[in-house]
Amino acid sequence: MTVPPGATHGTAGTQETGGTDEAMGVYLASVMAEIDEEAHRRRGELPARLERELDALFLEHAPMGNRQGDMSAALRMVDASVFIDPVVPVASQRPAGAAVKKGLRSLNLWYIGYVTHQVSKFATAVSRSLHLVDGQLQELRRLVPPPSPAPVVAPGDAGSWWRSTALDVLGAAPGRVLHAACGDGWLVRDLCGAGADAYGLDPRPDAVERAELDGSDLRSGEVLAHLRSVEPFSLGGAVLSGVVAGMSAGERSELLALLADRLRRDGVLVVHSLTPVAWTADDAPVGADLAPGRPLRSGTWPHVLAGWQVEVHQGPTAEDYLVVAQR
Amino acid sequence: MRVAFVTPRYGPQVMGGAETAARLLAEHLVAECGATVDAFSTCALDHVTWRDELDPGESTLNGVRVHRFRSRAGRDRGFYDLDTRLRLGPRHATRRESERWVELNGPVTPDLVEAVRACDADVVAFYPYLYYPTVLGIGSVPMPAVLHPAAHDEPALYLPVFRSTYASADALCYHTVAERELVERLHDVAERPQMVLGLGVGEDAGTGRAGGDALGLGSRPYIVSVGRVDDHKGSSMLAAFFRTYKERRPGPLAMALVGPVAAKIPPHPDVVVTGAVSEADKWDIVRDAAVSVSPSALESFSLVVLEAWVQAVPVVVNATCPPTREHCERSGGGLWFGSYREFEAVLDRLLADAPLRRRLGEQGRAYVDRHYRWPVLIRRYERFLETVVARGRRQPASGLLAADPA
Repeated sequence: MTVPPGATHGTAGTQETGGTDEAMGVYLASVMAEIDEEAHRRRGELPARLERELDALFLEHAPMGNRQGDMSAALRMVDASVFIDPVVPVASQRPAGAAVKKGLRSLNLWYIGYVTHQVSKFATAVSRSLHLVDGQLQELRRLVPPPSPAPVVAPGDAGSWWRSTALDVLGAAPGRVLHAACGDGWLVRDLCGAGADAYGLDPRPDAVERAELDGSDLRSGEVLAHLRSVEPFSLGGAVLSGVVAGMSAGERSELLALLADRLRRDGVLVVHSLTPVAWTADDAPVGADLAPGRPLRSGTWPHVLAGWQVEVHQGPTAEDYLVVAQR
Repeated sequence: MRVAFVTPRYGPQVMGGAETAARLLAEHLVAECGATVDAFSTCALDHVTWRDELDPGESTLNGVRVHRFRSRAGRDRGFYDLDTRLRLGPRHATRRESERWVELNGPVTPDLVEAVRACDADVVAFYPYLYYPTVLGIGSVPMPAVLHPAAHDEPALYLPVFRSTYASADALCYHTVAERELVERLHDVAERPQMVLGLGVGEDAGTGRAGGDALGLGSRPYIVSVGRVDDHKGSSMLAAFFRTYKERRPGPLAMALVGPVAAKIPPHPDVVVTGAVSEADKWDIVRDAAVSVSPSALESFSLVVLEAWVQAVPVVVNATCPPTREHCERSGGGLWFGSYREFEAVLDRLLADAPLRRRLGEQGRAYVDRHYRWPVLIRRYERFLETVVARGRRQPASGLLAADPA
């Protein structure tokens, strides 16, 4: 294989095959980081006009929403389109076509040039405004701390003391039952066995990657984003284990508002949480330190869920509790 | 289990991701699960005109009973004016405007919709979301309906007419997680039964002939892009990028664009545009490529990416295409570019680094083996359909469908 001039071997390129999925991800990220750096280094090598044209070609069919809402990519497209060229192409498939077109262009060039100049001025003004907005947005972004989703802490497993209570109250749920964080789907399977139509969600990708292959309806995802896309009054129940305790107050507030809207009137909400004492104990899970929020005391839930019928079940070791709520 | 597929085109001659996917699922359900499968489709081969080219009526294709219907109307010339207007602000289109968009886009096939409604299937799979048969059919069938959206981030997805299409689905089947995230950003369907399935791939079906011989390139190194050569698929952009690349990197490297041609690619001594080729030639050409490029930003799955990995060929994809980028990120089998400079840097790096190419190719192949081999994949799909049948038809939302606009 011919090595192109200017090509560089990065450090990531010297590694050999092997390792875990995580190692693979780190390796791929390091290769892409080297490529990004190299692409950045080459800025200015191409004539500016050619680079603008190539960028415009790339962005012409880029998706509407643009995955990361990439403002700079959108602005590049705006910038590439700002200049309106008054010099109309004159190529023609007919013998005299090009000459005729060229003649027409010469006759009209002053007029077309005047109009395109106004349009270009307008587009430039719009582009400048958008750059200003972008600059201010970036400034705001620096001031506002980035969102830090709560990690999953103590989500439970098949041996959890509250499993039977959850099965009792949700086995005959009047609609689909969501379990977040579902882990390997232990409760989803039990709920389905008990007659419920259950599905699971977990923000930890590894858990669901395995489960997807066994045909269960288990998905990777965050509970808040998920609930925003659920049809109103469609869920028969929701079990939240390991995801509520570490939420910030704002996230918890949005979660409860969403649940009130997405659960049917006769739907059942089950929340499992560590107690504040267990959360701050020396042997608490690491996630407790990294979470933006802290768990509520069990007695606070009836106030948080005002208007619901709330039952609190204390765990056998005072480390955790279960809230069962129904409207 | 009796399964019906509804898709606007059907057959091995059809080059279309969604239609090919529907046919492959149908055929594998018959062959590997013993299901009884009917396919309801039009007589069209061309998705632009929807002209009737095949005979209407019943036939059997690889075990699938195919019912073809003539279209009452294909794509109307007025479609382009309306589409140009609506794509500037699709969210703001009125319901009536977007219904009109569906009618003008075609294929208008009320007979097909009526036949699906009257069939004896246990479950109906609609594939993709975009066309008349799905829009008019999915809310009106009495049996459970699975929607395979095959959605990508295009203006049409935002038109209000498709709200009822999604709302009428009893279950959804996605190609990738990225597709699911896209759909759920726009439609409240997250609680519906669903799966991320994708498509299966087979083994290398080449003859062993050198890819360079098939392309007339001899022993020159080359990169390849397989699929319809079309502006919308990024082919013109890739050709322009490659021309610039070759101006800056003269040498023997060539590029092959392999697939039916729907765009004008300026002739270039280092670019081979093959047109449609046989399956065997395609596999031979891909196997010997240094890199396979998927320049399209509008893919919902991209079988050609997986086919490159079957042969351990590394891929390079468009960074703004979530599904192909997801494949690369999950597999570690490819890199991506979001501008010409990144394209150049990616290509330079891959061409100069054989161990990297090998590693990416191997990781891609392992990913295909793990997720996209037919026997495992089709059993998952069968189990999924069984659960959909067991749940039955959900109550359709009110006011879902417009009257037949035909």
